[in-house]
Amino acid sequence: MDQLNAWFTQLLAGNAIFTANTLGFYWNGLVTTVQLVFLCLLLGILLAIPLAIGRGSKRWWIKWPIYAYTYVFRGTPLLIQLYLVYYGVVFFNGIQDTIFWEVFKDAFYPALIAFTLNTAAYTTEIFRGAIKNTAKGEIEAARAYGMSKGLMMRRIILPSAFRRALPAYGNEVIFMLHASAVASVVTIMDLTGAAYYVYARFYAPFPAFIFVALIYLCLTFSIMFVFRRLEKRLLAHLRPRGA
Amino acid sequence: MIDLQGYGPRLLEGAMVTLELALLSLVLAVILGLLTASAKLSRNRAIHAIGTLYTTLIRGVPDLVLMMLLFYGGQIGINMLTDQLYDAFDVDIFINVDAFVAGVITIGLIFGAYMGETFRGAFQSVEEGQMEAARAYGMSPWLAFRRVRFPLMMRHALPGIGNNWMVLLKTTALVSIIGLTDMVRVAAEATKATHEPFLFMLPVAGIYLIIASLSEWGFAKLSKRYSTGFGEASEWTN
Amino acid sequence: MATTPIPLEARDIKKRFGSHEVLKGLSLEAHKGDVITLIGASGSGKSTFLRCMNLLEQPDEGELIVHNEPIHFRATKHGREPADWKQVERLRAKLSMVFQNFNLWSHMTLLENVIEAPVHVLKKPRKQAIDEARALLDRVGLLERADYYPTQMSGGQQQRGAIARALAMDPEVMLFDEPTSALDPELVGDVLKVMRGLADEGRTMILVTHEIAFARDVSSQVIYLHQGVIEESGTPAEVLDNPRSERLRQFLAPKH
Repeated sequence: MDQLNAWFTQLLAGNAIFTANTLGFYWNGLVTTVQLVFLCLLLGILLAIPLAIGRGSKRWWIKWPIYAYTYVFRGTPLLIQLYLVYYGVVFFNGIQDTIFWEVFKDAFYPALIAFTLNTAAYTTEIFRGAIKNTAKGEIEAARAYGMSKGLMMRRIILPSAFRRALPAYGNEVIFMLHASAVASVVTIMDLTGAAYYVYARFYAPFPAFIFVALIYLCLTFSIMFVFRRLEKRLLAHLRPRGA
Repeated sequence: MIDLQGYGPRLLEGAMVTLELALLSLVLAVILGLLTASAKLSRNRAIHAIGTLYTTLIRGVPDLVLMMLLFYGGQIGINMLTDQLYDAFDVDIFINVDAFVAGVITIGLIFGAYMGETFRGAFQSVEEGQMEAARAYGMSPWLAFRRVRFPLMMRHALPGIGNNWMVLLKTTALVSIIGLTDMVRVAAEATKATHEPFLFMLPVAGIYLIIASLSEWGFAKLSKRYSTGFGEASEWTN
Repeated sequence: MATTPIPLEARDIKKRFGSHEVLKGLSLEAHKGDVITLIGASGSGKSTFLRCMNLLEQPDEGELIVHNEPIHFRATKHGREPADWKQVERLRAKLSMVFQNFNLWSHMTLLENVIEAPVHVLKKPRKQAIDEARALLDRVGLLERADYYPTQMSGGQQQRGAIARALAMDPEVMLFDEPTSALDPELVGDVLKVMRGLADEGRTMILVTHEIAFARDVSSQVIYLHQGVIEESGTPAEVLDNPRSERLRQFLAPKH
C-alpha cells in the first residue's frame, strides 16, 4: 500500500493540479454521477412500464394525464424540473422541522426525483412507441391461443417491445448521463461539480474540464459498448442466421 | 393575474434572450451541420477523420461541460493570445468573452454535430438520377444544389432538424449556469430572493412549452410543403 | 343418445361491419374427425366466419358451442360481447388457429413458439412441453430448425412451424385461415402434405382455402359461401364435381 502510494505521488509530482487530493474529488464525483444516473434510470423504467401500458389505454382519463405528463416533462428543460423539485423542497414551509429534512437536505434526493421524473417521461414514450409497433398478427395469435390480456402483455407484447426499444433506450441512457451534469448546479459534487471545483480552485479550466470530458467520453463509450452487446444478443431474431 | 413581484419585465427580457440565443445557435448549427455532413461524405481521409472526431467528441461529452470549457477556457485562451500579440507586435487589445456569444458558439458547436448526422442522411437520400438529370439540363453545380438537391433533401432532413431544434431549445437553459441572464436565470434569482419557486419556474416552463408547441406546428406545416409530389406515397418511399 | 360431445357448433352467425352485413346467418357443425372446407370468392365472408369461431371477431348474433359448452354473451352499448372472457380464453385453447401470415412470435425461437401456450396457458410442465414440441417439430420436418427465429426461416418452414405450434395445444378443432395463400408456389406442397397427414389421422379441421384440388382430396364437407350466405354445402363430390349454381360453376372454372 505504501509502495503504491509512493508510486502515485511520484507520478503526480510533476503537476500542481492533479494531486491525489483532486483525483479523490473526481473519483467521488464519478461515484455520485454513476449512482445518480443508475438509480434514476432504474426508477424511471419501473415508472415507465405501467405508464407506457396506460398510455395505450382506451380510457381517456388514463391516457390523457399520462400524455400530459410526458408532454410537459419532455417539453421543458431538465434544469427547470430540477429547480422546481429542489427549491420546492428546500423552501417548503416548515420542512426543516420534520423528519423528511434529514433526507431532503441532501440535494441528492431532490435531484434523483427530478431526474427520475424526466427519464420516466422519455422512457414512457420510447416504450409506448415500441408497444404500438408490435405486429398485429402476433397479438392475434396470442389471443387465438387463449392468452389472457395480462399474460399476453407479459409474454408477447413487452418482451418483443423491450427488444425493439433497446437502441432508442441506449440513447436515452447516454442522454441522461450527460444531462446529469446539471446536478452540480444544486450543490451536488458529481463529476461536473468536481471539475468546476478544481477549475475554481486552480483557475485552470483546460485541465479541469478536459479531464472530466475524457471521463464522460469513457463512460459514454462503455454504455454504447454494453448496448451494442445487448442488441447483438437480444435482437438476434431480426438478423439472418449466421450473420 | 399572477403577482410576479416586479420580476415580470425581467422575465420577458429573459425570454427574448432565450429566443435570440436559440435562433442564432440554430443558424450556426445548420451551417456547421452542412459543413460536417460534407466533411463526412468527403473522399479526403483527413477531412473525413476531422468530421468524425468532431461529432464523436461532441456527442460523448455533456453539453454543460463543453459550455464551461468554452466559456471559462475561452477567456483564458483569448487572454493568452492577446498577450502574445502584445509581446510580439505591441498590439494591445482586450477581448472580453461575452456570455451570450459563448452560449451561441457552444450551442451551435454542439448541435452542429447533431445536424451533421441529420444532413448526412438527407444528402444520401437524394437519388443520383435526380442530380444527373439536373446536370443533363445544363445546371451549374450550385444551381443544381439549390433547385434540386436542397429541396429534395429537406424533405428527409426536416424531422431531424425539428427534433434537434426541440432539444436545442431546452439546452439554452444551461447558459443560465454560466451567467447569462436568460429567463431561467431570472426565475432562479427571483426564486432565491422570494422563496417561491413555483411562482417563477412554472411560467418559464410554460413559455418553453408554448415555443415547443408552436415549433411543432410550424415544422408540421413545413414538412407538408416539402413533401409535395410525394403525397400518400411518402409512407412507403422511406 | 348420449353421444360424444360435438367439438364445434356455430348456429346462425351474423356479423356486420358498420352498415354492411358480411355474415347473414351461417351455421356449421364440426363432428369429431370432420374436415370442413370453406370456399368462396374474396369478400364472401369465409375468413370472417372462421374468425368468428374463436371470437377474434365478435359475431353480432348467433350461438357458438365448443365441446357442448355454449359461449355466453352479453349486450353492451357497442353491441354484443362475450360475458366471460375467462371462458373465451379457456375455449380458445381448444381451438388452435393457423394464420395466413403464420404470426409466429418473432422474439422467440421456433421451439419457444411451440411450447409458449402449452406452458403458460395449459400450464404443462416445461420439460414435458419441450419433449412434445420436439416430437411435433420432427413430424413437420423442422427439428433441426428448433433454435431458429421466425425471420430466419422460409415462409413454408414458418407455416409448418405454426402448425406444430397449433398441434402442441392438442386442440379439439384446428382452424386454418388460408394457410398457403402467403406462400411461394414451390413451398405450398410441403405445407399441404403436413395438413393431409393431419386429416388422415382424424383431426377435426375447419379450413379456408383456395386450393380446390386439396379440398377435394381431404374434405368431408365443402361449404361454398357467397356474400355472407351458404350457397352450397355437401360432400366434395356434390359441391365440387356437381355444382348446382351457375355462380359456383364460374368460381370453379379454371382461370386463365
